[in-house]
Amino acid sequence: MTLTPATDQMDARRLGQIENHDSLAARNTRLAPGDNVTVRIRRSSGSEGGSAYQDFDVPYQKWMRVLDALNWIAENRATDLAYRWFCGSKMCGTCAVRMNGREVLACWEAVEPAMTIEPLRNLPVIRDLVVDRTRYEDKVASLEPWLERPSPYTGFPEPLNHKQMKDASKALDCISCMCCYSACPVVGLGALTDFAGPAPLVQLAQTALDPRNDPEKLRRSLALTDIFNCVSCYKCEEVCPAHIPIVSRIIEPLKAKTAQLVPGMAKHSFALRDIVAARGRVDPGALVLRVQGLRALANMSRVVRLLMRGKINPLKTFLKIKTAAAEAAGRILLGNRTK
Amino acid sequence: MQVVTTDVAIVGGGAAGCYAALNLNRRGIRSLIVCKGLVGKSGASLFAGNLVVSGRLLGNTDENARNTAEFLIKYHNQFLIDQDWARRCGQWIEQVYYPELEEAGLYFRRDDTGQVVTSPGKIRSVAANVQGNSGVPFMDLRRKQVIKARIPRLEETVATALLRKPDGSVGGVFCLNYLTGEYTVVVARAVIMATGYSDRLHARSTGTREMSADGIALAWRVGATLVNMEMQWWHTNDMAHPPSWQRIQIYPNPMLGSEKSARMVNSVGEEFFNQQRDDPLAFGPYTVQLKALAKQVHAGKARYDGGYYAGFDHCNAAEVEAYTTYAKAYHQLGLRFPEQLMETAVTTHYRQGGIDADTTTMRSSVPGLYVAGGLGGHSNGLIALATYDGKVVAEGVAGDLPNLSASPPLEQDITLERNRLEALRISSSDGMTPISVKERIRALMWDKVGVEKTTANMTSALDALEQIRLELLPGMRISNQAKSANYEWLDAIDVMNMIDACELIIHSSLERKESRGPFFRQDFPLTDNGNWLVANVMRKSGNGFRFERRKYDLPMFRPDFAIKNNFEVAW
Repeated sequence: MTLTPATDQMDARRLGQIENHDSLAARNTRLAPGDNVTVRIRRSSGSEGGSAYQDFDVPYQKWMRVLDALNWIAENRATDLAYRWFCGSKMCGTCAVRMNGREVLACWEAVEPAMTIEPLRNLPVIRDLVVDRTRYEDKVASLEPWLERPSPYTGFPEPLNHKQMKDASKALDCISCMCCYSACPVVGLGALTDFAGPAPLVQLAQTALDPRNDPEKLRRSLALTDIFNCVSCYKCEEVCPAHIPIVSRIIEPLKAKTAQLVPGMAKHSFALRDIVAARGRVDPGALVLRVQGLRALANMSRVVRLLMRGKINPLKTFLKIKTAAAEAAGRILLGNRTK
Repeated sequence: MQVVTTDVAIVGGGAAGCYAALNLNRRGIRSLIVCKGLVGKSGASLFAGNLVVSGRLLGNTDENARNTAEFLIKYHNQFLIDQDWARRCGQWIEQVYYPELEEAGLYFRRDDTGQVVTSPGKIRSVAANVQGNSGVPFMDLRRKQVIKARIPRLEETVATALLRKPDGSVGGVFCLNYLTGEYTVVVARAVIMATGYSDRLHARSTGTREMSADGIALAWRVGATLVNMEMQWWHTNDMAHPPSWQRIQIYPNPMLGSEKSARMVNSVGEEFFNQQRDDPLAFGPYTVQLKALAKQVHAGKARYDGGYYAGFDHCNAAEVEAYTTYAKAYHQLGLRFPEQLMETAVTTHYRQGGIDADTTTMRSSVPGLYVAGGLGGHSNGLIALATYDGKVVAEGVAGDLPNLSASPPLEQDITLERNRLEALRISSSDGMTPISVKERIRALMWDKVGVEKTTANMTSALDALEQIRLELLPGMRISNQAKSANYEWLDAIDVMNMIDACELIIHSSLERKESRGPFFRQDFPLTDNGNWLVANVMRKSGNGFRFERRKYDLPMFRPDFAIKNNFEVAW
């Protein structure tokens, strides 16, 4: 099979799409006007009640978006369908839903021949496809995502260049549509972590990665993010309709700032780095001991389980055995000089 | 039903409403924002593509500054504007608006060397982060400023009626939170209406979902005088497909960092608009484009609802994409950019007229009721002008506040409104659904009150609206009587406002017996400065309404002819 990456939008994470010939051009041409679009919508009267799927047949119109299908249904079939939208053009970020299991902005995504439409995850459902955004809004407000200047403003235009604003500029493309918030598996863990979630972090990054912001102010905000619970799975980046590189250009730089401004939050990352740098490998036993101290031994059944599965090796841990990669790891991670 | 008391109730969460709230807050005056959508995330302010540079900012010459003023007065408002207000507004934009926005953190796009990137041309503009998307970070900043100032917001909450006090002044708003189904009465000493100018009254419109002319209808019901309601702006080059994207424009504005902009070709591939050739001053290209399109329609080479194309095939992709979002729709459709052109069509865009206001205080004709932003009839809006109104109205209200009544609104009006809304929700007739009635009205306005108007068509539209009012509205069918997130109920409320606003627009259109700028009348094709360089004022009276003409002062710019075929007028 020949791969023909045709546009500059291609990257490694899109290889699967290329292999399936799933290009944007294909998505917009696989249906012709008048073809039938089968739409299955999860409907409910709120989070306390149950939900049920309802099926609709919608005639395809040229370049039809998911939102056009919902509008057609609300006009012609289920006039009480509850779904949120305002602008219809990827600006307000209020129409996000899950289509066939992935988060999409309804106004932006092409319809598929057979679609199951569900509300976003990780937010309570008010009715049908309308979710309650309060949890997100409260988190964003608590992070105080506004600029506080350490020194007085010097007048318009102030000295600033785009290189300094490169990452913040990406964050400014955010329309807070909640696609990433719904896709994030860590947010999905609920109360198990205090992770702020990708969308609030992008909102924070708009000013946090802006060189004009006061680091003191930033320290307060970052302390509320529990950002090191991010597992860098790239789910957020995959679904972002604004194409914001959320992990590489937002969360990673924020983690670096957090490590610098609130080092206590980065204990686990520092420990991991030091262990790998010193031994050339991940040593889970050492990592747990460094992060949790002797508390780690309190959960004896877990220790035994990990031992039996070979996940930890006390001998290697206590003898600080190195691998051949140790020297290179130290050079890469800590900038150690080669002998 | 909850009752909330504040000093000033602000209806609308866009540029004007937010800035009014922030200014009142600085003065220690309590306000509350009622927003049908989400503050800073709905309405027209979000659509600001770029930000016009006025005065001597960023190396503007005297000529640039003069051009900007001329653009606003001539090309943007066809002289139907208070020129003194325009002068004050321009000075404020230069001295306060830009520095204040930047100080608060708005990122005016720089290049890597630190220069603010501008569009070249006689009028220059800049962008907040990216051209085509400036409204998003701009309004996001406003949302956060409102949150930071702890100004209360009632969001996804529709204002359904203005409430009067015993002394006749307006001092309250009846609201419905359509997500919870709960009613709120906001009691205030003054009400600022700032609901914008981009209503969805036509089959094709840039207005967002929630825009149903509520501001016009509510203000008219309490007796506010209106002005120039017939003056409607059109976009010539919004996407013809899909329906959701009728709000996406293939911008004719000069691009940041390039002298080019989108060109347009007719159904047989002939170019009929190229801003560099047809509007080299880069003055308001919108009306120039609309007139160019009308000629194509008359020649059978385009339709108002499609059959012509726009795009950037004379540019290179990097030039367009360096600082703009202009290619986003092409990419999302998988089209080859910039080689392929997009089919485009006309949409209603801004309403130039609106509520008549004293431009020094933004008082309406009704005590206690103020207006700000695009809803006002004093100018066609731009995000900077709407913001300026937010400042002026805050000053106006602050000055009047000691003299405005603090007593509660009339109890009987509250009861009446509550009963009206309840009756709409439980309406179980077997008639048309509210959304279908909405679409019926929009189709009618498109067919009979579209780009080119005639007396016969508009009169027949009034008859048809009357029929809808008498036969369809009383028997609308609501299939679900739930209180929570019941958008059918909201549609039923909207329809009542839409039909009132449509009638007002048609009556005003019939009254202006000339053609001017984007206002085309086939039966009065001349631009008649002798008789019609006036505000078309519509006053409510005991048995309906009456029209008056009010002359404009013309201290800076005046037209250079008395009478001329509108299609031969540059603006």
